[in-house]
Amino acid sequence: MPDAAVTHSGRGPGRILVAVYGVLALAATGRSILQILEYFSRAPLAYVLSALAAVIYIVATIGMARGDRASTRVALLACTVELVGVLVVGAMSYAVPSAFPDKTVWSHFGSGYGYVPLVLPVLGIWWLNKVRHAGLRADPDGARADA
Amino acid sequence: MLLPLTQVLVAAAALLTLMALAYTLFDRLIDNWLLGLVALVELGVVVQLVTGLLGIGTLEGHRATYAAYIVTLPFVLGITTWGAIKDKTRWAMASVAVGAFAVIVMTLRLQQIWDIYA
Repeated sequence: MPDAAVTHSGRGPGRILVAVYGVLALAATGRSILQILEYFSRAPLAYVLSALAAVIYIVATIGMARGDRASTRVALLACTVELVGVLVVGAMSYAVPSAFPDKTVWSHFGSGYGYVPLVLPVLGIWWLNKVRHAGLRADPDGARADA
Repeated sequence: MLLPLTQVLVAAAALLTLMALAYTLFDRLIDNWLLGLVALVELGVVVQLVTGLLGIGTLEGHRATYAAYIVTLPFVLGITTWGAIKDKTRWAMASVAVGAFAVIVMTLRLQQIWDIYA
């Protein structure tokens, strides 16, 4: 399989992840800008979290698309924050529904977006780790200098 | 928003999704046929953007989501297709399929908001 040799997170199957992340980044950014401009006072917590999610999607998209070692690490961090975010906000939106009168990307574990926000960070972390390890195997010296 | 336009747009985007998936499976790269279909879908998306923005005043709720989606839509296929032209691999074709599928979902969501709030 040629996939085993992919060491750039934005190449190979990573292209699909970049595309999906890009779409989510655009959708989340657009939505959150308008939410904050139009009716921020209605659900400040939810809208701040929406904006945070949007920023994280943008960071993950760019990090994954750039694909050098530092970018991959940044994207991995973004995906981890994203996974924690969707789990915490998802659980909170069920436990304290009054704090989330309006839907956000992460509320109810991303059910409004077909649970894509829940599945995506898992796929992202898996893929980025795979790429990172392939990169370490291919260039162990660079890894030592980097560490 | 025009229902017939939504129907044509969703049908064209569905065809594009299938075609891009088939190209991915059979390891074919982007060609004029696929590019033509992308252009057709993009045309529909832009017409919908214009009609949708003109009619946004009649919406009684979810205006923010509606505006965000309708403005985002033209970029989705634009960016993924640009990627497929620059990087000629089967995975880039798969990302066009992802973009086309996103167009279907977002267009249906727009129509849903329109049906409820307009």
